[in-house]
Amino acid sequence: MSQENAIEVRNLVVHNTALTAVRGLDFTLPAGARMGLVGESGSGKTLTALALMGLLPMGWQANGSVRHDGVDLITQSDRALSNRRGRTISMVFQDPLSSLDPVRRIGQQVSSVIRRHTQAGKKEAERRTVDLFRQMSLPRPEQLMRAYPHEISGGQRQRIMIAMALACYPQLIIADEPTTALDVTVQKQVLRLLNTAVQERGSALIMITHDLPIIAAMCDTVAVMYAGKIVEMGPVAEVFRHPRHHYTKGLLDSQPTMDNIALDGSSRLASIPGMVPPLHSLPAGCAFHPRCAAATEQCITQVPTLDDGPRRAACWHPIGATVPMEVA
Amino acid sequence: MILSKSSHLPNPAPLDVPASPPARRQRRKLPRNASLLVGIVLTTIFLAVALVSFFYLPSNPNIPVIRNRLLPAGTAGHWLGTDVLGRDIVAQLMVGARTSILVGAGGATLSLILGLIAGLAAASSGKIADEAISRGADILLSIPGMVTALVLAATMGSGALTTILALTAFFTPSFTRVVRSAAIGVLNEDFITAARLYGRGKIFVLIRHVLPNIAGVMIVQFTLYFAAGILTEAGLSYLGVGVHRPSISWGLMLNEAQQQVGISSPLAIWPGLAIVLMVLGLNLLGDGLRDVLDPKLARRAS
Amino acid sequence: MAIYVLRKLAFFLGALFIASVAIFLLIRGAGGNVAAVVLGKGATPEAINALAHTYGLDRPMAVQYFDWIGNMLSGDLGRSFRTNESVADLVTARLSVSIPLAFSGLVLGLLIAIPVGTYAARNVGTPSGALFALVSQIGVAVPVFWAGILLSLLFGVRLGWLPTGGWTDWSVSPWGAIRSLVLPVLSLGLIMAAVLIRYVRSAVLDVMNQDYLRTARAVGMTRTEALLKVGLRNAALPLVTIVGLQIAELIGGTVIIETVFSLPGLSRMMLANVAAREVIVVQSTVMLIVVFVISINLIVDLLYGLLDPRVRATR
Repeated sequence: MSQENAIEVRNLVVHNTALTAVRGLDFTLPAGARMGLVGESGSGKTLTALALMGLLPMGWQANGSVRHDGVDLITQSDRALSNRRGRTISMVFQDPLSSLDPVRRIGQQVSSVIRRHTQAGKKEAERRTVDLFRQMSLPRPEQLMRAYPHEISGGQRQRIMIAMALACYPQLIIADEPTTALDVTVQKQVLRLLNTAVQERGSALIMITHDLPIIAAMCDTVAVMYAGKIVEMGPVAEVFRHPRHHYTKGLLDSQPTMDNIALDGSSRLASIPGMVPPLHSLPAGCAFHPRCAAATEQCITQVPTLDDGPRRAACWHPIGATVPMEVA
Repeated sequence: MILSKSSHLPNPAPLDVPASPPARRQRRKLPRNASLLVGIVLTTIFLAVALVSFFYLPSNPNIPVIRNRLLPAGTAGHWLGTDVLGRDIVAQLMVGARTSILVGAGGATLSLILGLIAGLAAASSGKIADEAISRGADILLSIPGMVTALVLAATMGSGALTTILALTAFFTPSFTRVVRSAAIGVLNEDFITAARLYGRGKIFVLIRHVLPNIAGVMIVQFTLYFAAGILTEAGLSYLGVGVHRPSISWGLMLNEAQQQVGISSPLAIWPGLAIVLMVLGLNLLGDGLRDVLDPKLARRAS
Repeated sequence: MAIYVLRKLAFFLGALFIASVAIFLLIRGAGGNVAAVVLGKGATPEAINALAHTYGLDRPMAVQYFDWIGNMLSGDLGRSFRTNESVADLVTARLSVSIPLAFSGLVLGLLIAIPVGTYAARNVGTPSGALFALVSQIGVAVPVFWAGILLSLLFGVRLGWLPTGGWTDWSVSPWGAIRSLVLPVLSLGLIMAAVLIRYVRSAVLDVMNQDYLRTARAVGMTRTEALLKVGLRNAALPLVTIVGLQIAELIGGTVIIETVFSLPGLSRMMLANVAAREVIVVQSTVMLIVVFVISINLIVDLLYGLLDPRVRATR
């Protein structure tokens, strides 16, 4: 039953007239579950998020099915979608300074969300907003209500964005690189707050990032995207310890850890050879094959799909397989 | 009315640029440089007409021939007819083109020169000089151009020269601001610092490095001020403080025509149409040039 | 905010001072010997000197300047050479024509420009957007006096609905005054709209691409709601600035329209005095107009400070 799942995505395709950025995504997120979406720039992760929210930029279009809160979001009108946005499904964006209205006071921006989706009046909404600020460990919440976005720090702004997204206890929160634009010292604090707040509300979370440790810390499952497709998906611990797709392995190997850095400066960071292909001229067959050490003739001619089971990888020669994959 | 005086403002978004790739396949999109083409064509036509007027005119535009008064358009020898004193309209339009171009270009050129000097000075001098020049320009901008023109006419008498000076007086502050912001953009680039480190003097850097890089902006602005100058000159001549007979101006023609408006309306149409087409041509040319130079402009002039 | 206001006031006063000096120098400097001009050719040197002395024109420039300023501040704007009427009286009578005209023209322009510009911004890249671009380019190329002539031709001559010129004073018949203003305001308003539309469109386009609009939609506003509640408020900022900068042009347009429709406004008076080389009258009238424009700019600056909290920051 779709009511049990926070969101069910089937064959999501996102394209404009020139190219296709998301080439058929499939996943299901149960209620309260946490999924990480990993990928480099150009993999299509942000467009996926925007497609789920119905906020694609002009010229872009989404096809497929996105079931959430009992309806298929793709087929809904802007008016119907706006009813759900902020209430059952919400998003935290990457840059909090440009994402907040510069001419309105912060308190008004957040409390207006509460007033929009609940019966609360002005005073009640303001009271709840102050509460939210306190939950977010924001200093002097009452004063903050009357402040403007440019008067506070980046970390505080992002916490306010999170507050706005969580204010109405949504079923699903999508966080798109929420800490990338913040100082390193502040990132951990914000993530911890996000973690706690999501947990308290029992919301499902899709955490989009290129930063693997964040996913390891916060998510149950992870989906790895490459060139518009999910190439591997499964429980976080297992995927990170025993990746099946070569791209995933490459990503993991290129993470600097204390183990693989020799302190005399003699070690080199592993990296995946080659570059992410531009979306308008993707290689034939498996999009990763030009950069993959295990590529064969089959990889060039046939496009692999995700196999079944809890640990899914789209690869003709997944790591650890003793028997070559059969054509599905 | 001086319409493009606001050209010193951040230029409004070009009118034929879509915000993102077009979504519908059946949308018929004009080529990016449609502006430019039409602008070039129109401007060339008028320049040609003005040039030709020095060598050939259908008949004398100033001598009254009363028996020919108010002939309708299409009459042999007077394609657009004659005015109330029997003077050929086409001939008057041709000579009027001369005035528009001379005064418009004259004003724009003088403003360009003065604006360059002031703007470059502001961009490359210390904070105080920059503030002084910028504030000065702002204040001068608050004196309406029409008013300046009237004041000059009061003190120096009216005529083409006064009009050119009036145009200069109110385009120069705008030009200064445009030059200043474009120059500052260039001066912040690293190659300028490199040049200065090599020991190049300030003037040298300005002329050799800054000038070529702001040339695009200058050309676009010049074209737009040229257009504005034509509009203004027409307005002043209409009011009677611009050029007088035997010089001819389209604005002057409209003034004369208005007195006849009840009797013969075509007289009120041709000169106005000429103004619109010429100004339109120049504006399209300026916008088209701006689009062509855009990638460089966006980098330099911000 | 207080510091911001004080700064703007300081600029205001400074601008007034510099503008007054500029006007004074321009008129006195370029005008040559004022007395000689007034008396015309054939005047004897004694007559010229006598006239100059009567009007205090033989005193040092600085003295004359401060005298002029002092007088203006106390309401004495000088007198006409020929008729000896007080400039203040002349001006006041004319204001009841010029101010309604200018103000209504601007309001009409904005009333047209804001919806049309917003529509144009939302339809960028579509056929209606392209059509708009064409119409807008043409509109900007039309001289305001031609618009006036054409309108008076159509509505005044051909259709006879409205007067083609002339003025019925408010005191005689308010309705008559309004009828006299309809075509002038229409001409002025349409041309102002043509200019403003391009800027409205630009401002709205800028805002449409901002992240905070996306956030507004992400928390539940529809596209239209977001544009109107969040977008317009932000687009108002550059718009306020632009309206302020257009005031000078509004005045220019008013000057022309008054002539087209034979309205007894400030500009007609100025033109007549310009023709008659009435230096004192022109000087004071111009100063008045400039004070008006600079004051409007001050108001615009203060308004901007009110609307945009970022400029008020004491940083």
